[in-house]
Amino acid sequence: MNLIEVRNINKYFYQPTKMQVLNDVDLDIEKGHFVSITGKSGSGKSTLLYLLSTMDTDFEGSICINGEEMQGKRNRWLADFRNHHIGFVFQFHYLLPEFTALRNVMLPALKLARYTPAEIEHRAMDLLQLLGVGTQANKRASLLSGGQQQRVAIARALINEPLIIMGDEPTGNLDSQNAAIVFDLFRELSSERGQTILTVTHDDDFARRSDKVIHLVDGRIAD
Amino acid sequence: MKLITNIKLAATIAFTHMRARLKQTLIATAGVTFGITVFIFMVSFIQGSNDFVQAVAFEQSPHLRLYNEIQTAPANIIDRTYPGNINLVSHVKPKDILLNLKDGPQVVQALQQDPRVAAVSGAVSSQVFYRLGSSSINGTINGIRFEQENALFNLQAKLVEGSFKELATLPNSLVVGIGLARRLNVKTGDRLEVTTDKGNNFSVKVVGIFKTGLTDIDKQQSYANLHTVQRFLEVPVSYITDIKIKLHDMELAPAMLPELQAKYGFHGSDWKQDNSALLEGDALRKMIVYGVAVTILLVAGFGIFNILTMMIYEKMKDIAILKAMGFSDTDIRWIFLVQALIIGITGALMGLVFGFLAAYGISKMPYKSDVMITLDHLPVSFSAVYYVTGFTFGMLTTTLAGYLPSRKAARVDPITILRG
Ligand SMILES: Nc1ncnc2c1ncn2[C@@H]1O[C@H](COP(=O)(O)OP(=O)(O)OP(=O)(O)O)[C@@H](O)[C@H]1O
Ligand SMILES: [Mg+2]
Repeated sequence: MNLIEVRNINKYFYQPTKMQVLNDVDLDIEKGHFVSITGKSGSGKSTLLYLLSTMDTDFEGSICINGEEMQGKRNRWLADFRNHHIGFVFQFHYLLPEFTALRNVMLPALKLARYTPAEIEHRAMDLLQLLGVGTQANKRASLLSGGQQQRVAIARALINEPLIIMGDEPTGNLDSQNAAIVFDLFRELSSERGQTILTVTHDDDFARRSDKVIHLVDGRIAD
Repeated sequence: MKLITNIKLAATIAFTHMRARLKQTLIATAGVTFGITVFIFMVSFIQGSNDFVQAVAFEQSPHLRLYNEIQTAPANIIDRTYPGNINLVSHVKPKDILLNLKDGPQVVQALQQDPRVAAVSGAVSSQVFYRLGSSSINGTINGIRFEQENALFNLQAKLVEGSFKELATLPNSLVVGIGLARRLNVKTGDRLEVTTDKGNNFSVKVVGIFKTGLTDIDKQQSYANLHTVQRFLEVPVSYITDIKIKLHDMELAPAMLPELQAKYGFHGSDWKQDNSALLEGDALRKMIVYGVAVTILLVAGFGIFNILTMMIYEKMKDIAILKAMGFSDTDIRWIFLVQALIIGITGALMGLVFGFLAAYGISKMPYKSDVMITLDHLPVSFSAVYYVTGFTFGMLTTTLAGYLPSRKAARVDPITILRG
């Protein structure tokens, strides 16, 4: 079953001049697959990922995720959809610096409000421990090291048990050892929990070991 | 329900932001506090003085006055006799009418029966010259029945020396205003001369001195017994020129005036007309207070606007991450609006407290005034209305100041920030 179905996507930027960044992109991603997006710099990888993330709504064509069409949906609906189904990990760790690590992880779940705050705290703690940063839980996020921050960010992406975990070069800023840890974790999530992983990467090794590689050349999918 | 949890969550984020920027937050709050404090303080003080001045003036001003006026006859007698003809009469002189109110004493009696009326006084007033030695001062003499006039104006309280009682018993006796007494250099027991406009001279004795606090009255008016003045003017005892009325409810005056005028055919005026300059000044001063308060609050509002706008620039990344996590534009807007509201509410409440304290403090300041004799402290008005207005004002400006930046925050495009 396809979790993500993309049909005939065209994407333009108008600054400084009109320029087509994605050209008739068609793709399907199965549930539980580990998918990498690769391509040269400027080929449109990030652009595609942000379209799939539902944050960029300015495109032609159709994006269907989990049976729902994203084209033409309202901001509030999309935000809610992300909250339920999509977890993000970015190249720069992007934690909220004034909150503790624990609080950072809890925020998406507090927003979702599926569980009580006490339960959420408990689950967030479990995730931090799973990622080996349990001891940092009550430190302010800005005080953690880069690798620690990235693991907290991953815990945050996992807290709502999303269908899809998306990352724009999630290991781009990590040393090879930390990158390997993150990679193994993603592998495990997709094979054991059935979560779909979709990451932009420059790391050939990373890409080679995924279930599927989407390779972009000048805004088109190359076979 | 969902809305409330969303706002609660936004509020906790807002609190964390504010705690991280405690100093700026406190400064913005202090701005609002200052604005509201000044507003409360000024409005209490100005309103207090207004009320006081008005009380003094209104005590001297009857709610309704009935009198006659010299008028040129609108049509001359030839016109009335030969209405069809063209009649030329040049330079018509005003008719020599008596200024008295027809059947005055009966009207006074009738008015005393009116249930709306609290007190009535019929009096004669006339222009006279007060003379002593070489000084000769133009002024007004009021012929009154002391009991009636006292019921209206509380004359007894304004007596500085002597007594009003002797007016009735001692012929040709006079109670003079303090300014007049000073100008003539007389005191109780002294004699002076009064010249009427017909040229008759009378020697009178000063039996008392009064002070109303209104210089205009104090420096040129005097009181004498009604019959004394009637004798001076060579008029019968039924002659009165003024009927002054005090009502139970002064707000009825403007409505009652036309009724009485129609019934008795006199001229008249009510306290609002008599004190229109005062009431106008009152409104103007209030406008100034509101103007100053609005200006200060605008400045405070700019403070809030600035700190939030700065905060939003600093927090672009946070906003983008929150949006990626699934916070909607509305949630983001709430985060910043809540900050403005917290600053607004705390600032406004503290402003109310400080404003009250300042107003209370100044109301305890001793103050001696030459004009306002009954005053020993600065007059301050305490009314809940100012506090409600001040709070509403503060909330309005801060909400507005917070709304614009928070809308901007809600519009932040997360992608431009997240792609790095
Ligand atoms: N907001 C924008 N306005 C105008 N052009 C843009 C904008 N964002 C991206 N582009 C252009 O679109 C093209 C694709 O950009 P994109 O960020 O998707 O590349 P990428 O494949 O992620 O590259 P990299 O590997 O360097 O991150 C680039 O030529 C870029 O300059
Ligand atoms: Mg990119």
